[in-house]
Amino acid sequence: MAKEKQNPYEPVDASPVKSFFVYMLTRDIRLEDAILDLLDNCVDGILRTGAEKTAKDKKTPYEGFWAHIKFDRNNFEISDNCGGIPWSLHKYAFTMGREADPDRPQDAPGTVGAYGIGMKRAIFKMGKQCSISTRNEKDAYDVEISPDWTEKKGDWDLPVEPSKTPPKYQGTTIVVGTLHAPIADRFSIDREALQSTLQQTVETHYAAIIDKGLEIKINGVLAKARPVKLLFAPRKPKSTKTPKAIRPFMFRTKTEDGVEVFLAVGFTRPIPDPDDSESEQIQKRYAAVDAGWTIICNDRAVVYCDRTELTGWGEAGVPRYHNQFIAISGIVEFRGDSSKLPTTTTKRDVDASSRLYLQIKNKMRDGMRVFTDYTNKWKNDLDESRKYIEAGEPLSLDEIKVESTHLVFNATTKSVPPGEQYKPELPMPRKLESRQRRISFVRTVEEIRRVAEYLFGEAEASPSTVGEECFDLILKDAPK
Amino acid sequence: MSQPAYHIRPNKAVDRLTLIDAIRLVVKPRELSDYTYYSMGGPTLEDFRLIYEFYPEIKMVCIEQDPEIYKRQRFHLPCRFHRLKLERTSLKSFLAQYEAKDQKSIFWLDYTNLELGHFDDFMGLLGKVGTNSIVKITLSCDPRDYKKPEQTEDFRRKFETLLPNTSDPPPSRVDKLALLMQEMVQIASQKALPSAMPLMFLPLSSFYYSDGAGIFTLTGVVCRRVEEKDFRKAFKNWRFANLNWNEPRQINVPSLSTKERLYLQRYLPCGRNAGRTLRRALGYLTDENLKQTEIRLQQYADFHRYFPYFIKAIP
Repeated sequence: MAKEKQNPYEPVDASPVKSFFVYMLTRDIRLEDAILDLLDNCVDGILRTGAEKTAKDKKTPYEGFWAHIKFDRNNFEISDNCGGIPWSLHKYAFTMGREADPDRPQDAPGTVGAYGIGMKRAIFKMGKQCSISTRNEKDAYDVEISPDWTEKKGDWDLPVEPSKTPPKYQGTTIVVGTLHAPIADRFSIDREALQSTLQQTVETHYAAIIDKGLEIKINGVLAKARPVKLLFAPRKPKSTKTPKAIRPFMFRTKTEDGVEVFLAVGFTRPIPDPDDSESEQIQKRYAAVDAGWTIICNDRAVVYCDRTELTGWGEAGVPRYHNQFIAISGIVEFRGDSSKLPTTTTKRDVDASSRLYLQIKNKMRDGMRVFTDYTNKWKNDLDESRKYIEAGEPLSLDEIKVESTHLVFNATTKSVPPGEQYKPELPMPRKLESRQRRISFVRTVEEIRRVAEYLFGEAEASPSTVGEECFDLILKDAPK
Repeated sequence: MSQPAYHIRPNKAVDRLTLIDAIRLVVKPRELSDYTYYSMGGPTLEDFRLIYEFYPEIKMVCIEQDPEIYKRQRFHLPCRFHRLKLERTSLKSFLAQYEAKDQKSIFWLDYTNLELGHFDDFMGLLGKVGTNSIVKITLSCDPRDYKKPEQTEDFRRKFETLLPNTSDPPPSRVDKLALLMQEMVQIASQKALPSAMPLMFLPLSSFYYSDGAGIFTLTGVVCRRVEEKDFRKAFKNWRFANLNWNEPRQINVPSLSTKERLYLQRYLPCGRNAGRTLRRALGYLTDENLKQTEIRLQQYADFHRYFPYFIKAIP
């Protein structure tokens, strides 16, 4: 009998080390996103209270809930009255990461915490010390993370004590101290710039949540919702003379995993004149261009106004984004179990390799093609196309969803995933207009101003007006 | 836009002279020759004339795109061409090409309107200029431009990334609008030179005024963070210093005759209630009512050293 060969190697200890969570994982997230992660926890808290089911006004189920963020050179604080952390979930709230656990209590639908790292990563991103005080139902407890704990190897236990001064409301207060020097600098030296960026991000990315009634304040300044709105033809036009307005392309489905998807793409404003020299500079002139795709997962925008291949621009027959398409905007909403949604661990980006997202992206491109094609067809008669676009009313996603219930959607059984879609009938230019041709040429500003002065007695006329007037003058004299 | 002749705007004239003061406090006399002054100048090169008068050691570059204004500038040169170089190009192109190397600069971005691109220029410049360079930015600040809802929305869309509160419309009061402009400049400076950088932008003074159209202007220095306290010390006793982004100061000098000014000279400088003292000295109202007269005479007391005499001359 052959002698069994002895394994000379010992098993490798692959258990995690604290420094990975405290110093390494935090590099993957921006400070702004870390703060928003904490804000996500507040919203998850509201969902656990069941407010959406019990609210009297279904439009504003989060009315009465608030989340306040404050920061200065010494501390960061976020406090809320959003229900607190149930003791039954303490293990999942404070453990670094999350394992599949059949015994885990079912979380409320709509929450976005899927990986169990958001709160901890946000804390360690900012500082070495943290006090968490929470009250949920009868439980009121404090959790303390000290600078010693973050440095001490091996010991993963966090001390928990009954709250010394329990909050009057059911909610959580997180205070991060012993801030890392660069973070303390950002909270003080860069304070105004950081505040501005955060305010802007909260107002756009949490627009749906603010609209539902949640009060969010950053250093005392109230955030107001600024959702993307698409122009939508009203069911009853204002008058019989109102031109037929345009509605967005829409698609809806529910996956086998239970994720509900709703997609709408359309116009936010009239198509710009591509030959207007100013429109070439639109992106340079405007900081906020609400063109492109916004992707919303359980009410939070994870991608806002994207105009890259990530959302289908410049792929599979869709042209690359150009200023000419500045009026086109789209919204996709995913709603369901957070682990099934196509987001990254930072929850501020879409998982571009997610099978669900790739399938939906096909539909996003289908919708986009309708409107890029329309833009191209009408570019020779923008004034006429303006009438159709302006006859619509700007509606937010929730309003579009309500309006969509009055429209007939067609089943798309052959597409993956199968669903229902509404493809709008868009007005097309009259055939006569195909005889029109565009004339464009370039002259120096000085020359254009000189001719404008000669024609109109003032130099400020737009280049296109000057060009048209020149042509019309000669046309009158030209023999027929 | 119709405005008074460039060289006789009294409030702007005061503003120019406060820049002269700020230069004196930032730059040591022996270092003046290390500096180059860059500005847009206007047809008569007023600011260059002043710089040459007070600091002949400073080299000067004027940036002008318009060929006719460029010709007028050549006509109005206050000194020989080698001291003041006239560059016929756009400011954007000039800034794209500009390299500070080890040189120190004094830049006056003197805009007459308000565009996002102006902040881009400002931010780009902060990242380029040498240590201890002075940057002054002047922008249109007129609440009348934002009366209609579409103008308000346009303002938000234009400047969203620089606004302290994106939801608030631009204020209808000029002092509040000037403060908002200053906050936008502050946010732009923090974005251009964030705390991670060894350099910072320290504001030195900020004013708002109107010579027909509302204007906001802010002057600051790009310095090492470790040297911030030295600049604070240098400007501690300058009465127009605004080192902490406090509310901008108004310049609104009264319209006084030369005879009145010469008469008031004997009462200046005066301590508290300068407006009342000067009003009593004159013995009549120079503005629509007593309050307004005293406010503007107070302005005269504050700025009289900076207020040039405009005298009719026959060539």
